This record gives sequence, C-alpha cells and structure tokens, in this order.
Amino acid sequence: MLYIHLTACISPQSSFPEASLDHLQRSADNKLRVIEPLYEGLPQQALRRMAKVVRIGAGAALPLIRQAGASCLPIDGIIIGTGNAGMEQSIQFVQQIVDHAEGILSPGDFVQSTPNIVGSQISALTKNKKYNITHVHGGLAFENALLDAAMQVMEHPTHTYLLGGVDEIGTYNYNIDFLEGWYKKEALSNHQLYERGTPGSLVGEGAAMFLVNQQEQGALAGIRGVATLHADDPAPVAERLGWFLDNHLAEGEQIELFLSGENGDSRLSPFYEACEEILAAELPIARFKHMSGEYPTASAFALWLASIWPGGADLPGHMLKRGALPLPGGETSEPGIKMGRNVLIYNTYKGMQHSFMLLSRSFH
Amino acid sequence: MSKVLVTGMGMISSIGATPEENRGALIRGECGITRSSTLPTRYAGVLPFGEVKVSTDHLKARLNMHGPGITRTALLALYATNEAVSDARLNASQLASFDTALVSASTVGGMCLMDELYQDIHRQSHGSPFLAAYNAASIGTCLQSAYGIKGIVNTINTACSSSANAILYGAKLIRHGLARRAIVGGVDSLSKFTINGFNSLHILSPETCRPFDAGRKGLNLGEGAAFLVLEKEEDAEGKKIYAELAGYGNANDAYHPSSLSGEGDGPYLAMKEALSNAELRIDQIDFINAHGTGTENNDEVESRAMLRLFGSPPLFASTKSNIGHTLGASGAIEAAYSVLNLTHQEVYAGLHFTRPIPQTMLRPVTEHKKIPLRHVMSNSFGFGGNCTSLIFSKA
Repeated sequence: MLYIHLTACISPQSSFPEASLDHLQRSADNKLRVIEPLYEGLPQQALRRMAKVVRIGAGAALPLIRQAGASCLPIDGIIIGTGNAGMEQSIQFVQQIVDHAEGILSPGDFVQSTPNIVGSQISALTKNKKYNITHVHGGLAFENALLDAAMQVMEHPTHTYLLGGVDEIGTYNYNIDFLEGWYKKEALSNHQLYERGTPGSLVGEGAAMFLVNQQEQGALAGIRGVATLHADDPAPVAERLGWFLDNHLAEGEQIELFLSGENGDSRLSPFYEACEEILAAELPIARFKHMSGEYPTASAFALWLASIWPGGADLPGHMLKRGALPLPGGETSEPGIKMGRNVLIYNTYKGMQHSFMLLSRSFH
Repeated sequence: MSKVLVTGMGMISSIGATPEENRGALIRGECGITRSSTLPTRYAGVLPFGEVKVSTDHLKARLNMHGPGITRTALLALYATNEAVSDARLNASQLASFDTALVSASTVGGMCLMDELYQDIHRQSHGSPFLAAYNAASIGTCLQSAYGIKGIVNTINTACSSSANAILYGAKLIRHGLARRAIVGGVDSLSKFTINGFNSLHILSPETCRPFDAGRKGLNLGEGAAFLVLEKEEDAEGKKIYAELAGYGNANDAYHPSSLSGEGDGPYLAMKEALSNAELRIDQIDFINAHGTGTENNDEVESRAMLRLFGSPPLFASTKSNIGHTLGASGAIEAAYSVLNLTHQEVYAGLHFTRPIPQTMLRPVTEHKKIPLRHVMSNSFGFGGNCTSLIFSKA
C-alpha cells in the first residue's frame, strides 16, 4: 500500500494553502481557472520565467518538500503526471515559426515546450538529483504516475516520493479540445454543470501534489489500489470495476463514498451510470468536476479531496449527488461488518480512458 | 523477481527498415544523414537530416492505414510495432489480455503537422482531421486502439530520454507482476517544430555530426521508431531470446533546462544506478552505446561522467553518427542497437571521428569488430536534466 503523508492542491477552489471548500467558487466564461497564490516560497526571478503549469506545479510541490525537509525526510524522486504541460509553450513556438517564417527565433518557448518541464523545474529548484519521470498518457497520466510511485516504493521500501498531477488551461490548447467537442458550446456556470444534459463539460486546471511512501504511521490516507482501462463502451468498464472491487475489498467490507468524475457531458453519463449500477444502492455518491473542471489529471484533484476528507458529514453539500453521510460520531458498527472507510474514485477522460482508485482514509 | 527478456524487435531508421538492414548498415559504417530536399522547411537542402527514406504515402499503403488523421509519426510507430509484435509471435489473445502492457514515447507526436495545428489553434476552420493527434498521448492511444490493448497503457515524455524511460517503465511493470509482457519503445518524425527548435539553440551541425570529436559542431536531427517486446523469463521458454534487460537507472541533473552540468551529475548517477540495479560492477560493462549527440556540451560532459564512474571507461561509441538524434525514438533505437551488439557479439564504428576532446581524451570505437560482449549499457539524456541508462545482458 502507498501511504499519503502530505498533500497540497492549487485549484479553482479555495484549496491552498488550507482547504475551505463549503463555498463553491464560480466559473467564468465557461472556465474554471486556478486561484493562484502569491508563491512566497518560489524564487521571484525564476517565477517570472515560469509558465503557469510550472508555477502551480512547483507552487504546490515546494511547500511539501520543505515540510518534509524540516522533518528530515529526504525526497527520493519526483514523479509527475500531466496531460498538457508544455503544450502552450509548444504553440507559442509554432507561432514564432509562422510569424518569423522560420527565421531567427528565441529558444525560450522551445526549451519549455516538453511536458517534463514541471518535474525538471521542481528538481532544479530543490537540487533533487534522484529518480525523475513524467507520465503524459492523457487522462491516465496521473494514474500511471501513481503506479510508478507504488512500484518505486516496492523496490525501495524506505523511499519517499513526490507524486503529482498538473495541467493548465492554455489559451490555444483549449481551442483544440473545444473544436473536438469536449467543452460546452452554451454559456454555463459550474453550479449548474450536471443539469444540462448536453455534450461537453467546463474546462479546468490544477496541481495536486502528494508525498507518498510505505510507512503507515502518521499517514493521512492509504491508496489500496489503482486500475486503468481503455474502452469506448460502458459494459467492459463496469465489468472491470467489479473485478477491481473483488480484488481490493475484503469479504463483507464496504465502501463509504463513491467519488464520481461525472462532468456534465451527456455522452459520458452512461459510463458513470454503469458503475453506479454495480455499487450498493444506498452508497452515497459525491462529485467534484464542478469544483475542478475537466482536464486530463483531474483525478489527482479527486484523490486530494478524498485524502483530506475527515469522513462522515464533513463534506461540502454541493458535492453530494445521492445518499446521506452519517454525522460525526453517529457511526455504528454492525457485528460481522467492517466499517467502510474506503473511498472509491472512478473517472473517465473523453469516454476512452478510465480509472479506478481505492483510498482508505483511516486504517487504525 | 523475474528476469525481463527481449523477445521481439522492430525498427525503422534512416539506415534501414528492419533490425537486419540496420545491422548491415552499421557493419558497413553507413551514414543515413543527408541533405534532404523533401522536408517542408526552409532548412531542407541546407542542413543534413537522418530522414527515413520511405514516404508517408508508402507507409500508409504498406500499413493499409488510409483513414483521416493519421500522422507520419503514428505510421512509423505502427510500422515498428507491427514488426516487433510479429517477431515475438504475440497472438491476438495475448495482445488483448489484461497482462499485456504498452508503453510508448514520442516528443513530437502530431506536432509534425504545423499548418493544420496553426489553423486549429486559431479556430480557422471547424477543425482539421488531426484534432486528436496533437496531444502527448496520441501515439500511445493510436497503438492501443490498433492492437486492442487492455492492459496498462502509458506514454512517457522526458524529452530525449523518453523512450529509454518507456523501456524502464515496461520492465518495472513486468518485474512487479503488473504485466507479463510489455510492448515498449518510441518514435519521432522530422518536423519543422524540432528543426527550428534545435536551430534556435544553435546546436544543429551544418555538417554530418561527429560525436566525441574535438571539432564537433552540433547534432543532426533524425527520425525513426523502435519497439521491443519484453517478456518475463517464465513465459519466454522456447522463444527466440535476444537479450536480457538487466537493469536501469534514472536520475536528474538538476542543473539547467537545456544543458548538462559540468561534472555530469545526472549522467553519472543514472549510469551508477543502472549498475547497482543490475547488480553489476563497473568492470563488467563491455560496451557503452553513448548518448553522444555531437554537441559541445553533451559529449564533453558524458565523457567526464564516464571517466568519473569507470576510471578507465569501456569501449563506447555513438550510433547518432549513423542516424542522427531521433529524439523520442533514440532511447529505443539505441536499445535495439545494444541488443544487436549482444546477439551478434560485435561493436559498430562511431563515424566521422578524428581527434579526441582535449579535456577528456576519450576515443570511441572507430571500426566494426567482433568481440565477446556480456553487458552493454545504453545512455539517453534529455532536456530538463532527465538522464536514463539501461543495461542489456547476453541471454
């Protein structure tokens, strides 16, 4: 099991440095843009040259690395998942090539155009010369990063890794997905995201960072499993979910909350419905895309939410889709049934890439 | 943990469309880097490139891929993957099994289509057929759908070390029991994007590149693809076994976005970690397929890192003198060349070398020789300081 010890998230909500999620921050112009902090911990000169995706990635990661350093916990590697880091700089460079007809060009955009820019900048800023890798497989970029971290701690049981998922809304990369039909054509605010029944979602962005290792003591939460699948039909997805739960839950063990990646896109609803159908009818369901918006590594935002959730009714009301959560202290334990302290996250990106994550938020 | 074995290979580069063709050209010391006249860039005919001498239309016909939205990068990847899969004799049920993984890498992907991309980002049309081709995962997604892969699928991008890390990740999936077999590799095609990018950094050589030579003037860009099939030892019984992937090391130089630190901490640590991962001593490495791009910075720093780790480095050379720097494909192509070194017990000449770098005085191998080889190291270093070394051993 991979344990989360520290986490930080820069998102369109009031999530950084402390989370205050009861009040929903509204989208503007069909976009959920991150609330950028002042980045007091980043060198100001470096900050000016950074693309937004690097600012938010490093901005969320550096406080964790410092906090770990303060408790003498070395970071043994940096593992980043991102769908579109570097894309905006790539497009800026394309613009230069066109504008100057392949003449004298400034290399800055080109150097920042590779997706490993976030992980490599964090490494340079913290002089971390250890394992360093960037997973870019679209909507499964973060899940592959998580699997990678899990394999690293299996090989090196005493190691601690920085694991993160980060993406930005680019002026231009938004246009590519918009033309492909992934965002709503009509004006819509995020508090109505699930009501329209039309194709497309609202675009979002964010950076969620985690310090993970194999030590149970003092952990916020443990990740019990992650599974991924490519499929364009809901049936194999639901079937794989059944397999995933059989493999990771003990006999009689229950899930406490289903955190669903529903994003208001009518074409993707059948995937979420197919998963809901194989889960217990009374299982509470919560949603998060009205907070984060849709982007390739939005599942990292969901994992952040699940790992900071203390359990019970302490969940922002705007997240709950179905069911009721018990009030703190109101939990009862029936004989023979282990209390479910598990959160199941299911997310699909573009109805082609699917992932399940099972997080246990308490294991004492 | 199970041993990870190479049971299939497919590759295409400017010196050949199969591993055998590539080997023949390497033995003969052929250089595929020429002054191309077909690339859609003002540098065509001006700068030399390692272009694959097969047209995009020919690749489409050969692969029977006539649908819209297929890029040259995707075609090169499909071509090499087809060869690798058939070489390893993977059948349809193995390909569709949950324990077959696919890990690919590409730095350019659909960015090879500059004009279409330019129109799409400015919404100048209702969208070209290539909207799904620009993202970083597009090649992996294309291969996943072509083979109906249901297991773990991933795409890695650590710039020029991307496909070395794709191989590393595939090997880890097998070692940890998350896959029984993995199709791993990388691809890149020549594009106006990378040509102008490297040109803006003033590291494109106006002549054929000369890795490790005192008078080197930079790198040449090339294109190609290589994919390997990795299987766990228990499953490889009765199969053709090319080599074992014995170990890997990954480290970051943590210095500068586009150049390596003077002492080469990243390269040194990656090679050192690979040795420790493979449980080998420095004197057990018989040959290094060096990153050796031909730039001022890389070749001197890589030499220093080899001297620092090995004291007296083993035989080494850079096949970039034959095919140029194929970016996202280079780690995989050079892994395939390392496997050829081992299977045929031979090393190939680094081309265009005359004088060693005065500060390090290291000389690459300059002729084809048959020698006993047990362990071969392959280095790949990328922008952002991402350094990876792989070690292949004789099966």
